[in-house]
Amino acid sequence: MAKQGKAKPDEEDRDDSGEPSLVALVRGFAEIVATHGLTELVVDTKDTTLTLRRGLTMAAPMVAAAAPAQAPVHLIHSPPLHATHAASAPVSALAPTPPAPVDDKSHVVTSPFVGTFYRKPNPDSASYVSLHDKVDKGAVLCIIEAMKLMNEIEADVGGTVVAILVEDGVSVEYGQPLFKIAT
Amino acid sequence: MFKKILIANRGEIALRVIRACREMNIESVAVHSTADTDALHVKFADQAVCIGPPPSRQSYLNMPQIISAAEVTGADAIHPGYGFLAESPDFAEAVEAAELIWIGPPAAALHAGGDKLEAKRLAAAAGVRTIPEATEPPLIVKAAAGGGGRGMRVVRTRGELEGAVEAAKREAQAAFGDDRVYLERYLERPRHIEVQLLADTHGQVLALGERDCSVQRRHQKVLEESPAPGLDLALRADLLDAAVRFARAIGYVGAGTAEFVVDGDDYFFLELNGRIQVEHPVTEEVTGLDLVQWQLRIARGEKLDAAPTPRDHAVEVRLYAEDPRTFLPQIGRITRLRLPTSIRVDVGVAEGDEIGTSYDPLLAKLIASGRTRAEALDRLRDALAETEVEGVTTNLPFLRWLVDHPELRAGAATTAFLVEQPPLSAPPPAPPAVWRGPLRLNLPSPPPAAPPDEGAAAHLHGPAGAHSNLITAPMPGTVLKVHVSEGTTVTAGEPLVVLEAMKMENSLAAPYDARVRTVHVREGDRVAGGTVLIELES
Repeated sequence: MAKQGKAKPDEEDRDDSGEPSLVALVRGFAEIVATHGLTELVVDTKDTTLTLRRGLTMAAPMVAAAAPAQAPVHLIHSPPLHATHAASAPVSALAPTPPAPVDDKSHVVTSPFVGTFYRKPNPDSASYVSLHDKVDKGAVLCIIEAMKLMNEIEADVGGTVVAILVEDGVSVEYGQPLFKIAT
Repeated sequence: MFKKILIANRGEIALRVIRACREMNIESVAVHSTADTDALHVKFADQAVCIGPPPSRQSYLNMPQIISAAEVTGADAIHPGYGFLAESPDFAEAVEAAELIWIGPPAAALHAGGDKLEAKRLAAAAGVRTIPEATEPPLIVKAAAGGGGRGMRVVRTRGELEGAVEAAKREAQAAFGDDRVYLERYLERPRHIEVQLLADTHGQVLALGERDCSVQRRHQKVLEESPAPGLDLALRADLLDAAVRFARAIGYVGAGTAEFVVDGDDYFFLELNGRIQVEHPVTEEVTGLDLVQWQLRIARGEKLDAAPTPRDHAVEVRLYAEDPRTFLPQIGRITRLRLPTSIRVDVGVAEGDEIGTSYDPLLAKLIASGRTRAEALDRLRDALAETEVEGVTTNLPFLRWLVDHPELRAGAATTAFLVEQPPLSAPPPAPPAVWRGPLRLNLPSPPPAAPPDEGAAAHLHGPAGAHSNLITAPMPGTVLKVHVSEGTTVTAGEPLVVLEAMKMENSLAAPYDARVRTVHVREGDRVAGGTVLIELES
């Protein structure tokens, strides 16, 4: 579900001496992180890697030198942030951190809507999925009712349902974790 | 009639509405984006619902998510605050279609007020004067769907007209999806005076006095006060009367503000803003009314009482995370926030909050009152001296400079004030009557070499110097047009480059008569703030 995009830093972003200003570059990238709600931004060049990440843990900085112009920039679209409360964490622009350890390999399906969560299409039916079911990518997992519209939520990966995190008939908010799927 | 209100907003106005709910024993529901999970309005509301990712389009402007949040929380009314969806007739209609109470004017009144050409026609029909149309400069090009200065262009010479209309149309199309523009006479030094209105559902319309909001930067207000200093009483009565007539003509209900420009003895109606305004506390201080509580009361069908007679003087300034000279928005994390306790402060942020670029950079409003104007301004000055913000650049030095400026103290500010008196510039000598103490003149202007935050990119290049031969980008943006090439001879004021930034088009003009030595950019280039665009030679 990660979307990727590319952006080019401004070639003209230089300080008075004509060299790219590190502070200006980092500030610009931090703005991109904040504006697009990214959790991580990696600037990769021949001799430098600059990583900006929102997070609570800080580790040793990885900035080696100012990134030259025309560096490719990978915009890693943020995964839903609600579960970890990472959204409220500051943009740690000047103290980039290495990747945080991944706790488990299961994929979390989150709610794209504010609404009411239903595990079955109607009260007399069986649930779309149960714990330990194997699901294919695209399989319907549940319904979120919002403004009287029934929105089917599909699995964005295939795998085994290892956790169902919300009870039937309960209201959910944007980004709320609904299912865990082990891939 | 309603027990729970959802507030479709963030920041200080969301907190202001939550406070009114508390005082009226109504439950409150906050909505928020993933960037605002720990924001004050989320903490203070009785319930909170996350409605989307940080960009406003997907959260605070996302109508289905907001209405669904009201439905799942059992809220029976929606208060839109200001900005975002506050004046969207579509949202007002969607709220009512979902059988929720809309705390705002009827959709039809929002339609009438939102289209400036339509508003001019309605005003004429109600016998309310608007600015005459113009074909000869000086004139101003305005967008029919405009607001916040977008799609607005001042034209001083015939030669600029075509380009200005073209630019205004492009900007209006981008901002509002509607490229209709019109031409009006340009008033060089008007005062901006507005009338606070409350209208109930029983046909009663009250005018609650005026506010003078003449001090503006880029058509956005910086300082607001009531009453308007030195306003002729007959003229004031005319303004209040015209405001009520227009409100009646469009069947207005709720809180609203009729905006006027006053040019000598002439006044012209601009528009009726169908929302609670940022500067509403000024009127609350002089009338003793709680305007937000009255919005709720009107929405549940209560009748207005007679208008109270305003007394004393109140003045408000807006504390923004923005550069004190250039007014460009700043980002950062608030590491220290000390606000005055001696005056009213409406605040939307706390220490530790991150100020990003997704939302309006308003941090707090400081509102002082006193028996006289001088007393209110003195209290505001003292309160600003106590105020401290660290971690993000703010306009605090500018506000301190402003409230002690002799021209402001004399009550002589017009909308041209900040053009004629560059922020933080040394105040000019003023008539001795204005000087309230010999020392004060030296205080307001901090040394130009010591801006409050050394980190801001805008500071690296210093204030735009009159001697510089370099035309630099005042902020990051995209080059839309390059009007000149190497060797072109230009006269002072002639547009060189059009830069699009923060969704606004900025025309960068030649500061003096010169020849273009070098052009460093092409149309379509993305440039960083401070980038040299053009080099001139005399």
